[in-house]
Amino acid sequence: MRRIVKDFSGTRALDGVDFEVRKGEVHALIGENGAGKSTLMNVLAGRFDDYQGQIVFDGNQIRIASPRQARDIGIAIIYQELTVLNNLSVAENIMLGDEKIRRWTRKLDRAFIKQEARSIIDYLGFDLNPDKPVERLSTAQQCLVEIAGAIRRNVKLLVFDEPTAPLGSEDVQKLFQVIRDLKAKGLGIVYISHRLAELPSVADRVTVLRDGRKVGTKPMDACPISEMSRMMLGHVLSEIFPPKENQPGKCILKVKGLSRKAKFEDISFELREGEVLGIAGLLGAGRTEIARALFGADKAAGTVEFQGKPMSSLSPGVCSIRGIGMVPEDRKRQGTITARPVGENLNISILGRLSGFLGFQSPRRLNRQADLMIGRMRIDPPDPRVLIQNLSGGNQQKVIVGRWLAAQPKVLIFDEPTRGIDIGTKSQIYKLIIKLAKEGRAIILISSELIELAKLADRILIIRNGRLVSEMQAPLDDVDLLFDACAAKEESV
Amino acid sequence: MTGASEKSTVRTRGGLSFQKLLQASVLVLLVTLCIFASVRTPTFFTWTNLVDNLFTNAAALGVIALGMTFVMIAGGFDLSVASITAVCSVVLVLTMDRFSSYGPMVAIPTALFLTVLVGIGLGAINGILIAHIGVNPFVVTLTTMLIFRGIALILTGGGQAKQVADLALRHQFSWVYDAGIPLFGQAYQVSIPIVIFLAVFVVGVYLLNFTRFGHYVFALGGNEEAAWLAGVNTKQIKTLTYVLCGSTCAIAAVIFVAMTATVQAESHQGKELVVIASVIIGGTPLGGGSGSLVATLTGVMLLRVIDNLLTQFNVGTEYRKVVTGLIILVAVVIGVLAKRRNLR
Repeated sequence: MRRIVKDFSGTRALDGVDFEVRKGEVHALIGENGAGKSTLMNVLAGRFDDYQGQIVFDGNQIRIASPRQARDIGIAIIYQELTVLNNLSVAENIMLGDEKIRRWTRKLDRAFIKQEARSIIDYLGFDLNPDKPVERLSTAQQCLVEIAGAIRRNVKLLVFDEPTAPLGSEDVQKLFQVIRDLKAKGLGIVYISHRLAELPSVADRVTVLRDGRKVGTKPMDACPISEMSRMMLGHVLSEIFPPKENQPGKCILKVKGLSRKAKFEDISFELREGEVLGIAGLLGAGRTEIARALFGADKAAGTVEFQGKPMSSLSPGVCSIRGIGMVPEDRKRQGTITARPVGENLNISILGRLSGFLGFQSPRRLNRQADLMIGRMRIDPPDPRVLIQNLSGGNQQKVIVGRWLAAQPKVLIFDEPTRGIDIGTKSQIYKLIIKLAKEGRAIILISSELIELAKLADRILIIRNGRLVSEMQAPLDDVDLLFDACAAKEESV
Repeated sequence: MTGASEKSTVRTRGGLSFQKLLQASVLVLLVTLCIFASVRTPTFFTWTNLVDNLFTNAAALGVIALGMTFVMIAGGFDLSVASITAVCSVVLVLTMDRFSSYGPMVAIPTALFLTVLVGIGLGAINGILIAHIGVNPFVVTLTTMLIFRGIALILTGGGQAKQVADLALRHQFSWVYDAGIPLFGQAYQVSIPIVIFLAVFVVGVYLLNFTRFGHYVFALGGNEEAAWLAGVNTKQIKTLTYVLCGSTCAIAAVIFVAMTATVQAESHQGKELVVIASVIIGGTPLGGGSGSLVATLTGVMLLRVIDNLLTQFNVGTEYRKVVTGLIILVAVVIGVLAKRRNLR
């Protein structure tokens, strides 16, 4: 790709970017949110027909004007938000669009679909059951289904757009093995990620974008993480993690025998004021479910004592009034109130407090409150009237966090707070977590990025198969220790 | 997420302005049609035609459309409004008749009170089934549409036309429709239905745009699960939108009964689509999340003016149905395109 330029209604998203991928190479593409990574890949995927610049693919100069054309010449993108069809089986998903119809009966040839899918799965060495409905698979397995579907279409260039964002550490290792295998088969691979630490183990070269321009391309060995983040941010980010200055105080939340059928069992722990309590575990271990139950989003058996008094009925409404907040896992589905402006998204949890006579909501007061939070969270653009879906992922997350910050909760649960956001915002959220704990608020932090737990938490609960198996003191330096604790005995399942 | 976020810094408010454009175009169409009508028929732009034929006749359905706007912004749907209105009308007439011996000062307030109560109750049935039990609003209100209609038939003993036997009382009640409030002297009067509509409109705008309830209604339509996780009692708010819609049906019933003096259990059939059409044409998308009462008002007026024009050109009912259907279809298609553009 040479000198690619793409404008969005007057603003330049890509400004003369050169990019090159060789056969049998894994090329990492990094940059902060809004740097132009996805836009560049969308040009490649044929999503736009109004880009400028040249694309040379397999020796031929071409213009990719439609997604169909991109697919036909052998370019496939695996998006972070997977596009598998939940109601179909693994085999049907893999073979979608290539079904064979029996000649005379016009019947769908299920045996053929299954057989073909099986051969692709075997070729790739995946551990997948072709008959299983996709909705019953884990996110990691769904990702494999999507890869298999792309391979079936004879791709030459495979783009991964943040594939590891929703995955646990073990699944990430598996995925990397898959990528290395694909590379050995001669595919060109573009790998977009926010997790810089994982890049050296999978990528050969790395290209950094910033503000729609290319900062540089370097061989992976010659580019340590510090160098990458410097290139991304334009300045040295010596400390991503803030110093731990919080001091745990007295107990604020006491959980006893919390259980939910088939999800988790007999979870008991205490949370103290000013403490950051980490919850670690593999994907599907029950971390999110425990958090949801604590917040009253799911019904569960057991008792929760808040400030010495048992909570009789748990619901998100009750929790938010009492002073328990949760930044949910899935920003788009559970966090942002789509089609509504940033201001409303920020104020939604505190409207009760802002109400005047007859429930009157003064627009001026709402705007002032929103402006206050926009300033505190450094949300960009700083305008409460912008629709939330027009913000970058990192800024959307700041809005969700800001929403709870405004409510001044005594306990705040963060479920994967840094998923899919840029390193600058991540660092900002880390600092905020420590600051909140320093103010005496209790934090529960759930994360697949074990380094976050190791650096930020005071204690870490290890959840395995819905059970609380052990507790580790933090901060830790050795992340592998934590990883081993999470993954141990997983094979016995 | 990144796919959308890359563009974010760029398209800050492009989507919103497109929607505004849409609403403006409805307004332009409305004005154009009005000018066209006044050129064709000189009587169009007279006070009597505007007030009596257009606004007063649009008032009852307009009131329901206001209630429906709440339901639809919250992402819901109500097909049972015409049936609720029918039940309310029947209850209004029957209770007035029953209490007529106590004199109008007892009969009318009692009847009004009961009517509104019934409207609220029927709306609550819809709301509870939809919000608390979680049945699809289309299914719920399609079935309650039948059930409520049946109740109206049962109450009138199988669908006979009913009216208040007491002639004096009947006349007193039609005051709601007949009386005019002089605005600029006797020549320029405003009818009570218009006043009722404006009152409901003002209350509605206050509720929707300046209260916590209104903010929650928008939030519900934007993303119900997120609103719930943000601490909003979504079930309660959702139920309330249907209750509100039911009570606007009761208010509309009062206007209808005053207008016709008699009531038939089978009246207003098919009007639910006209109501939903006015809301959609106004710019509230199916699925909710945005919309406004002012927009609904323009939608109501546009349909009313078109209807008025079709009458003047003596277009038959069969063609009218086709025309109304086409208008709704075009509005929905444009709405879907606008939403896609907005969210892309």
